[in-house]
Amino acid sequence: MAANDWLGLKHELPPRRRFVLLVLSFAAPLILWCLVSYVPWLWHPLVRISDPGEVEYFTEDMDIPREDFARELEKARQNGAALPVGERVNPVYLPAPHAVVRSFYTAFITPPRLPGEPWLHESLGHSIRTISWAFFLSSLVGVPLGILCGTFRFFSRIHEPFIEFFRYLPAPAFGALCVAILGIDDGPKVAIIFIGTFFQQVLVIANTVRKVDPALIEAAQTLGASRLMLVRRVIIPATITDIYTDMRILLGWAWTYLIVAEVVGTMSGITYFISQQARYRNFDNVYAAIAMIGIIGFTSDIALAWLGRVIFPWKRTNKRPNRFVAWCARWVGKVGSGPAPEAAS
Amino acid sequence: MVRSVGWKSRERPGSGGGIMTALPIVPDYRAQSPAVRDRFQRIRERPVILSVRNLTKCYAAEDGTRTVFDGLSLDIRRREFITVIGPSGCGKSTFIRIIAGLDEATSGEVLLDGKAVAGPGPDRGMVFQGYTLFPWLTVRQNVMFGLEMRGKARVTAEGEAREWLDMVGLGKFEQSYPHELSGGMKQRVAIARALANEPRILIMDEPFGALDSLTRCKMQGYLLQIWKQVDATILFITHDLDEAVLLSDRILVMGTNPGRVVEFIENPVPRPRTSAQMIAPEFIAMKHRLDELIHPPAEIGEEEKLPMIRLTQAGEDIE
Repeated sequence: MAANDWLGLKHELPPRRRFVLLVLSFAAPLILWCLVSYVPWLWHPLVRISDPGEVEYFTEDMDIPREDFARELEKARQNGAALPVGERVNPVYLPAPHAVVRSFYTAFITPPRLPGEPWLHESLGHSIRTISWAFFLSSLVGVPLGILCGTFRFFSRIHEPFIEFFRYLPAPAFGALCVAILGIDDGPKVAIIFIGTFFQQVLVIANTVRKVDPALIEAAQTLGASRLMLVRRVIIPATITDIYTDMRILLGWAWTYLIVAEVVGTMSGITYFISQQARYRNFDNVYAAIAMIGIIGFTSDIALAWLGRVIFPWKRTNKRPNRFVAWCARWVGKVGSGPAPEAAS
Repeated sequence: MVRSVGWKSRERPGSGGGIMTALPIVPDYRAQSPAVRDRFQRIRERPVILSVRNLTKCYAAEDGTRTVFDGLSLDIRRREFITVIGPSGCGKSTFIRIIAGLDEATSGEVLLDGKAVAGPGPDRGMVFQGYTLFPWLTVRQNVMFGLEMRGKARVTAEGEAREWLDMVGLGKFEQSYPHELSGGMKQRVAIARALANEPRILIMDEPFGALDSLTRCKMQGYLLQIWKQVDATILFITHDLDEAVLLSDRILVMGTNPGRVVEFIENPVPRPRTSAQMIAPEFIAMKHRLDELIHPPAEIGEEEKLPMIRLTQAGEDIE
């Protein structure tokens, strides 16, 4: 394969090119957004009036479609009246990038309009709390059940058919029911994320566990492992890294259910913030809040991926992990499995 | 390395026993020197460790039941090295999986020290072709696994594991993870792991099958050394004739359709074994016999001849 081939099949690109493409993948949509926002003759379907002139229904700061403005301008010119003045703008729901960037800061320091309304950081905190509870509760039941289903045919046959059916029921459909049972506060929200996550979680983890190499189980059996020991000392460690990856993906799904869940009962969290800001037509804040969800999800995933490499040293391919990572691994190992292997001499 | 490429290429069945025409005087494979005969006599006096009685394995296929093997019986005595060899499909893997307790026989029984076995257990250690080391454990923790399963204290297990690793020459690698080792090293860890349990019998299912021939040669040497040091009875499966003759005391040759014992041969090659013996007359006689049993002359011929059309010019013959 030629070294300058950008489109080699299953052919990893050199690091420089990977970096260029990484930057481009974020830069391309941003550049498009900038062009639409800052190049006046691109789109900009409205005119914002700066001086209404003598047109009766024009007021200052009013947005008017371009054709209407041109017609009124023509009319005023023919009548010899004072001409209206304005500049081309985009609709209010498409703020310019700099306005959104500014909102990342201003949204945090702007006090809420109504007394008793949460600040942005409180809204975000509320959302994170809701999703954490839901994901924790789902995992608390879903992970062990998934492992059981993946390990023993008995549990697989008795649980999976129903779960398979239930996962097709859309979680938001349970909104009214959850409110009736759990009230209007955080209860129904946690429940909806739980419903959205749990059933997928059991099936995904059961499938992962089923993929464990049967030769490892046989090897352990010939070494005298009992059934309980097989689960504890072979099946769980053999699949824990894949389960961890599954959990990262499932956490992503939980975030998508968050927004739906927060609409149920009294609206709360980041969804409340977004809908309030949209009501006040602060669309720059809306974009900033949406981007914040993305950033929180993305960075937490990267952090978890890094943590995974620390916890599971056998998955690292390079022989010399950096010393901090090795230290963390040993420390985690100590907590995780009783007495640790003593430090390398 | 005595085992040259020449040997390998000449043993191929396609050459139709050409090896034997080149070496006209081959002793009878049943002829044993006095020392070898004495040794077999002594082996026969040892207690039987593993006894297989009328073992039969069938399974249900679309067109009725299929018999994998039928009526297998044999006795293995203490510290014997038995090799099972046979063409693919003769059920040799199923046979040892039943002994290991990983499969169930349709009828017949397997007795270990006179007691019938049911299910896998630490008294029958197993080494697989695919290493099957636990990737999440270090080399030493792998060897400790069986010891801990038997309830040994961690400190004791650690000490014993270290001794076993020293024995297979991997003491320095105890803190490594399996993915950091070469194939031969992994298999040595697997052997140490199985032996650490002090099994009554060590079952090895084509353990060196995935290794390159140089490493395989070394591993055979290691295995003979280890076997000499420990109280281990070994049941070894292979499809490599050289390996079978080089390692074993007795060779169980299995046939197909259905699987059965064709011959259970006492290997006439004297011990101690080295790869230098591969050109000894007994070795060649033994190997020739195995070759005959596994590739009967009738089988070679039609089906192994490829329906080739000549694609080269006349006068460009390579032979």
